[in-house]
Amino acid sequence: MPLSPLSHSAPIGGLSISESDAALVARTLDGDLGAFGALMARYRDALGRYAFHMLGNREDAEEAVQDSFVRAHRALRDCRQPDRFGSWLFAILVNRCRTARRRLFRRRRFGEELHDDVPARGDAAAAVEWREEIGRALGRLRPHYREAFLLRYVEGLDYSEMARLTGVREPTLRMRVKRAGDRLRELLGEVHAG
Amino acid sequence: MRMLRLLALLAAAPSAALHPQDRRLADRLDPVTATSVQYLVDSARGLGLPTEALVQKALEGRTLGAGGERIRAAVGALLGQLGRARDALGPSASEPELTAAAGALRAGLPGEILQRLRALRSGRSLVVPISVLTDLVAEGMTPELATRSVLDLARDGRPDDDFVALRRRAQMQLRNGGREPGPPGRPPARPAADPPAGRALPNPPASHPADQAAEP
Amino acid sequence: MRAERDDLRDELLGRVAAELRRPVRLDPAVDARVLKVLLVPAPAPRRLPRWAIAAGSGAIAAGLALVTLLHDGGAGRRAVELRVHVPASSQVVVVGDFNDWDPAATPLRPARDGGVWTVELRLPPGRYRYTFLVDGRRWVPDPAEPRVADDDFGAPMSVLTVS
Repeated sequence: MPLSPLSHSAPIGGLSISESDAALVARTLDGDLGAFGALMARYRDALGRYAFHMLGNREDAEEAVQDSFVRAHRALRDCRQPDRFGSWLFAILVNRCRTARRRLFRRRRFGEELHDDVPARGDAAAAVEWREEIGRALGRLRPHYREAFLLRYVEGLDYSEMARLTGVREPTLRMRVKRAGDRLRELLGEVHAG
Repeated sequence: MRMLRLLALLAAAPSAALHPQDRRLADRLDPVTATSVQYLVDSARGLGLPTEALVQKALEGRTLGAGGERIRAAVGALLGQLGRARDALGPSASEPELTAAAGALRAGLPGEILQRLRALRSGRSLVVPISVLTDLVAEGMTPELATRSVLDLARDGRPDDDFVALRRRAQMQLRNGGREPGPPGRPPARPAADPPAGRALPNPPASHPADQAAEP
Repeated sequence: MRAERDDLRDELLGRVAAELRRPVRLDPAVDARVLKVLLVPAPAPRRLPRWAIAAGSGAIAAGLALVTLLHDGGAGRRAVELRVHVPASSQVVVVGDFNDWDPAATPLRPARDGGVWTVELRLPPGRYRYTFLVDGRRWVPDPAEPRVADDDFGAPMSVLTVS
């Protein structure tokens, strides 16, 4: 189950039974790697979702997430609002995905099947096909459009938060989201029309 | 064999007719299933076994959409496991201990292990040690290694927190997809930072990617 | 989700977003690989089974507790908080051995952030099977807690232990 990268006070990770993020950050700063393990368990899948959709395959997503965790641990003293650790961590991931994207010489397959949920009964084949269509369409978006779309539509961020995360001005982000949406409608419309 | 054991248990149980039907069963199950589950519940009560776990099992089946036959089978199997758990832990075992022990037996752990735990932790609750043992096996550790690890802690008189810590460590290692930890008492093959040598562990069963959601 | 100039209610894009919000689970070994990078000499651990110490795991505990107890729940009970994040959902309930498996008994409350659902349980010591029901149609277990080996009725099931 995904977790919000921006949840403030804690938690999540599917479901988790939890200490607050701030408490775990404090314990990590005291040298408790187990506490950092708990933070990773809490945020791994949410970060993984964004990285996977952004980079298009599991291997690169795992690498980006792994790298983000390492960087987060090393820079943890710079996290000034430990109760917003998730948001801070997510900003690191967004940057790592940009770097990773630039590093990719060839585009790998988008839409790799990774979801663990069981689709609605009786719709399995259609659900898989729909998923693949979306993956292909997403892979055809320009990276900064894809980024804006994912942050807005999938992660549910508002534009001020997106601007803070990406360093891009809000009007530009709005434009990117709109164009990403238009392009997706066009691409998915083609599929359904064809 | 288990069915024979269950039948023997039921044959030894007193009549069910003296006990009023559990309202929850009557309200939530169809009449035939409610009656047969109630019989199993009353049998458990007559044998001095916990009844609440049986009721919960039936309600679980109802909520998950199981048919009456499947519910009766699951409740009957649990009753047999509770009986074996009580055989292993003795008549003074608490209801939570028996419920945890039934889960351990269901996971394939032998009753003798439970007896040894009881002997090593006389007078203290076995809920956490038994639960940790069960979880370790469910995570993919061999029953032999899980048993040795838990029994070692019990032998040392460790508190519940130490069992929980054991599970955390084991879970991390097992999910690492690397190698089976060496048995207790065997010196590490390498310095602390590297995984110890050993046979490859099977992939963790059903504990992460297999977290599929299913239809109700 | 807020209504802004881009139309989040666009039907097609809404379906796309719903699909993309579905869980993507990475290999939990990612955590272990990170910890391996970060690994520092473990503090002298209390005596534990030797294999556990051998892997240096005193410093790399998974951070997964059997259950985190918030406080004494009174009358021999312990308070336990459950949280789940399911942004595209409108209802989350937990069913388990502690509430007669009644989907109406223990709804989770949406937290302020949106998408996060929480509930506090007060449980006596014991071992409890449980699972989550999202929008009345999906069973979702707790990936952080052990799965129960015996899923008698086919749904994924977690177990928590209260000591």
